[in-house]
Amino acid sequence: MVTNKNDKFAVNTICEDGYCTIYMHGELDLSVAPDFRKMIEPFVTDQNTKLVLNLKELEYIDSTGIGILLSILKARNSMNAGFYIEEVPGQIQKLFDMTGITKFFTVQENS
Amino acid sequence: MIEEVQTVVISLPATAEYVDIVRLNLYGIASKMGFSYEEIEDMKVAISEACNNAVLYAYKHGNGVMEVTFEVSSDALIITVRDEGESFDMWNMADAAASLHDKELSDIQVGGLGFYLMQALMDEVDVVSEAGKGTKVVMTKRLNITRELV
Repeated sequence: MVTNKNDKFAVNTICEDGYCTIYMHGELDLSVAPDFRKMIEPFVTDQNTKLVLNLKELEYIDSTGIGILLSILKARNSMNAGFYIEEVPGQIQKLFDMTGITKFFTVQENS
Repeated sequence: MIEEVQTVVISLPATAEYVDIVRLNLYGIASKMGFSYEEIEDMKVAISEACNNAVLYAYKHGNGVMEVTFEVSSDALIITVRDEGESFDMWNMADAAASLHDKELSDIQVGGLGFYLMQALMDEVDVVSEAGKGTKVVMTKRLNITRELV
């Protein structure tokens, strides 16, 4: 089946004042995980810019997606570079709490 | 009175692109049964994790099929995700299924989270894996009828 992955998951990025904010839309699951991983890589490795993920429009995440967030956390942590998650929808926050990933996230207070 | 169970079976290619089709089917069936939005969201995650495992680990040699069965009764939805791939070590993760609550960032392994979520989000999860015959994940979500009595 030919599927248009763009219909399912999309991001747009705004970089300003030392922050790059990536706005995630749709469903982050196994089928789009490789694309997202590739797309976000340059932002993860950019030590000089703080990275923010905005999850307001993220409708769904599975363990693959949570795994990507964890690998970003690890990478940013080892570089001592800023990484924040903001506007987490209730259902996704529940999964973060359940899996125990919440304690590793720094929430952007001024969002 | 004999409880009537209605069964819906769908068979799909075991590829990542079809997992959202399973979620859409689940949504239709579970909302018709009267599950709440939150319960349906929980089941969406659980069913996807079961399908992900079939996609990722069952068929090492070429594409296979995953079969999803919904057993609908008045008080529960039983979901079975079956593959006919090689039985895989992944399911040994069932024993190792764990959250990250007691772990440091540096100690984290991502594997096992999917199974942990299935267990946490459903009322019952049973995994049957037989060498050469594939794996069957059976998950039950009970319909909370007390809600209707309030």
